[in-house]
Parts: sequence; C-alpha cells; structure tokens
Amino acid sequence: MNKRTPLENFLFYFLILLLLFFVLAPYAWMVSSSFKTTLEIQGMTPTWIPQTLTLENYVRMNQTVPIVDYFMNSVIISLGTMIFSLLLAVLAAYGISRFNFPGRNIYILVLLATQMLPGVLFVIPYFMLFTWIRNTFGIQMTNTYHGMIFTYTSFSLPFAILMLRNYLDSVPRSIDEQALIDGCTRFMALFRIIIPLAKPGMAAIGIYSFIMAWNEILFATILTRGETRTISLGLLRYLTQNASRWGEMMAACIFATIPIIIIFTLVQKNLVKGLISGATKG
Amino acid sequence: MKKSKALGYLFILPAVLGMLFVHIMPMGWGILISFRDLTIRTIRDWTSAPFVGIQNFINALNPVTTIGQRYLQSLYNIFFFGVMTISIGFVIALVVALILNKPFKCKTLIRGLFLVPYITPDSVAFNFWRFIFQRRIGIFNEMLLRIGIIREPITWLVGRNTMWAVIIASIWKGWPLTALILLAGLQTIPGEIYEAAKIDGASAWQQFKYITIPYLKPIIKTVMIMNILWNFHAYNQFRVMFGADPGRYAEVPNTLIMREAFEHYRYGQGAALSVLLMLIMLTIVLIYLIFFRNKTEE
Repeated sequence: MNKRTPLENFLFYFLILLLLFFVLAPYAWMVSSSFKTTLEIQGMTPTWIPQTLTLENYVRMNQTVPIVDYFMNSVIISLGTMIFSLLLAVLAAYGISRFNFPGRNIYILVLLATQMLPGVLFVIPYFMLFTWIRNTFGIQMTNTYHGMIFTYTSFSLPFAILMLRNYLDSVPRSIDEQALIDGCTRFMALFRIIIPLAKPGMAAIGIYSFIMAWNEILFATILTRGETRTISLGLLRYLTQNASRWGEMMAACIFATIPIIIIFTLVQKNLVKGLISGATKG
Repeated sequence: MKKSKALGYLFILPAVLGMLFVHIMPMGWGILISFRDLTIRTIRDWTSAPFVGIQNFINALNPVTTIGQRYLQSLYNIFFFGVMTISIGFVIALVVALILNKPFKCKTLIRGLFLVPYITPDSVAFNFWRFIFQRRIGIFNEMLLRIGIIREPITWLVGRNTMWAVIIASIWKGWPLTALILLAGLQTIPGEIYEAAKIDGASAWQQFKYITIPYLKPIIKTVMIMNILWNFHAYNQFRVMFGADPGRYAEVPNTLIMREAFEHYRYGQGAALSVLLMLIMLTIVLIYLIFFRNKTEE
C-alpha cells in the first residue's frame, strides 16, 4: 500500500469526521434537547448546547404519557418475538441448509416472495383473522401480547430463516457429520455444536427480530389498544393538537433506545460479522 | 436417505405451518375481499359483503374518482421517494465504502458507529428527524441559515418540501448498512489483482470499472433488492413524521390504504389497493432481476 502524504492523510481523516458528524449529529441534538427547558426549546434560536441543564423532561415524561407501561409492553412483545423467531428460524434454516428434500427450492422461493409483499396487504386480513378467532374460539387476539408476538414472529421469520441459512451454509457439514458419528442425534448436533458455531448469525437475526418488533407501527396501530400499546406508538403521543412536548419526547426517545443499546453492546462483536455474511452471500 | 428427507421436513415444519397461517392464508383472504364491498357493517361476516367484481380495482386506477386520484398520486410519490432514497443513498454508501477500504486508525470503532442509524428504532429516528425539521425551533434550518444557504426558514413538514424531508431522513437511516455490506464485499477482492492491473498500467478509474464493479456485482444485486423492498414498503417514516395524513405531497400507498381501511372503514377498497400495490412491487422486482441477469451475462 502506498503511504499517504500528510495532506492526503489530513483530508482523509477530515472526511471521516465529517461523515461521523452527519451520522451522529441527530443524536447530539436529541440528547441536548432532552436536557433543555421547555422555554429554551420553544424560545430563542436553536442551539447545540443547553443554556440551563434540567432533568424536568425525564421527570415529566411519564406523567404526560404512560411511557414506562408502553416500554414494558414493547419489552415483552419484542423479547417474545426474538425468542420465537430464533427458535423457529434455527430449525427451518438448519433443515434447508442440511437436507435436500423435494420442495426445498419452492420453499426458499416462497420465503423470498414473502419479503416482497407489502405489510399493509396483511393488515386487513389480520384484523379479520383476529376477529374471526375471537368469535369462533373465544380467544382474544387483538390487544394481547400473544397476538402481537404471533404477528411479529411471522413477519421476522422469512428474513431470519434466509439469513441464518446463509450463515449455516458457511459452517462445514463435516462438523455435524462428525457429531452424528460420535452418537449425537440430529437435534443434539444442532443445539450442542451448530448453534454455538452459528453465534454471529444468531446474534444478527436475534437483534433483527427484536428491532423489527420494537419499531413496528403499522400492525401495532390496528392490533393494540390502551393496555398493549407499544412504545413506538407511545412516543407519538407527546405531540397533540394543543401541545408539542419536544423535550419530553426526546427524553422518551433516549429511554426507548436503551434496550437496543444494551442488546447491541452484548452482541456487537458478532453482529457486524453475522449481518455481513448473511447479506453478502444472498 | 429416506429418513433424512423426513427429518428435513420435520425441521422446517413449524416455520411452514406458521407461515401458512400468517402469510398464505391472509394473502388469499386479502385477494378474496378485494372483490367485495366490505365495510364496517359487513366486517363480522365477510361472506355477506356484496360481490362487486373488479370495481374496487377500477376505482383505484381511475383518476376521476377521489380514491383513484389519490392512489395514482401516492404511487408516483413512493416511486419518487424510492428512486431518490435508494440512488443517493447508494452513491454515498459506495463512496464511503471505497474510502473506508483504505487502511486507517480505529477502523472497528468507526464501523460500529456507522451501524448506529441502522440499529436506531424507526420511531426514535424519525421522531428526532421530525424535530430537526421543525421550521423555527429545529436545528436543520438553523444550520442552513448559519452557513448562508438560505435566508428564510423553510417549511419542511407541510406542503411541497415534505417529500424531501422524509427522503433526507430515510437516506440517513439507510446508507450506513449499505456501506458496511459493500465494504465487506470490497474486502473479499484479492489485492494481487489490483497489483497486477497497476503493473499493466491501468488507471484508478479502469481498476474501479473492470475489477471493483464486476467483483461487487452479486453484492450490489442483493443490497439493491433489499433497498428496493424496504423503501417501496416504507410506512414508518411517513407515519411518524407527518401523522396519519401526510398530505398530498407525501401521501404513499401504505398511508392511504391504512386510512381507507381503518378510518373510512372501506376494507374491500383498501384490500384492492394493497393487492394492486403487491402486483406493482412484484413487477418492479422482476424487471430488476431480469435486467440485472441480462447485464451480467453479456
């Protein structure tokens, strides 16, 4: 590699810093606004640094909107989605990756095809399906945790399976063959040997399905009400006809980012690897 | 051999069953109700809704009807949004990937930081973008004023500029992941090829055109498909930044369908709009795939 001249070096790092600014500036604005007084937000020209630091937004955010309840709803729904997606996806991905059965290619094609369908196509039928289940079996589906977990798992599953399958393809088959010879059953081989090896892939799809559920707005609008409202809808409630509580909303946004930061920090090392290998071998 | 086939089925069975119930069945149902005048009165028993044939579809594409006019406008909007967001985002991502492919300090840290927009929850990201774009109290206008690009604050979230506001926010959210994936692709290209090309006297542009691009092609294909699917399905950013009714300039099929079905309670019409949207999406993806295949086989 050619050595860069000092000028090129300077320009290079300047460019990277500029890019980082564009990526991170919205965060700086969110964090700084969450510590501003309402007066400062509404009043003078916007500034990056708060003139008076205050915690009032954090104190008040749960009084205006029951954001902690919404947060807990989202935690339950997203964790549920993550667990079920991982479980079902790992089985299916292993099946596709290791067995050659008639219909396999069609199944892969169906998985790909579901990715192309607009979610909104399913909203109306889902609404009807949930109404029908309640009327026929007496099982409440709308406005319940299990209903939402069911919905979100189904939507994260195709992508999760495809990504994990790419990842499992990169784990040599000889490893599970060895395990079978050593007397493992297929399931034991999968859970004891393959899954630990597929950690980066699992991390990527785990965080994918968690974020998907944490983000979702379309289905949550229709299928949840008061008691199961998710945080992504809750955040919108700081803006009403009468008042825009931006400071509180920014505080709540930071609050809503916490689980993602925690999960991201836990799996960060594996995530980049898993994401990239899943995406590049499509 | 037989046993292993059965095992294969066993492994995919739970996922297949799940998807049958949640994808195939509702999809069929969606198509069935798109031929009916299903409304709030008939939602309890959809079979009692009057069968109207393809009337819902005719309405959707007829610019004389209110719904037709809005639907066609929304299709134009999402197309404009998709093309702009994907192309600008892709160019930024490619340039950055090429830059980051050079050796530099703190590589892992910076790669990690570039992932931040991807992992930021949509609701959080688009809420703070909504705040950034506020006319008087937002930082975006303030920055533009300070640099001297504009003299008067611009209204971003109402009227003509709405589409650009949502495009900027969506590019911010989307390009870093594309860049990281392209970067991963760049790193698989063996360095010797470039060395050999240099010895043969190939210019930087020639190296880019004849080595980098052909090598990246499969990855570009995947990344583009992902981007097309995500952006043409976009809903969250429109809902978060503009509320339930984004207005004429930022109305997209998804927001229109949601209002038609769940505010005006015309489920049949809404279903027809979404079936049409699905057909359009499939056409776009197919054209893209065919186009791409011909190009690589040349």
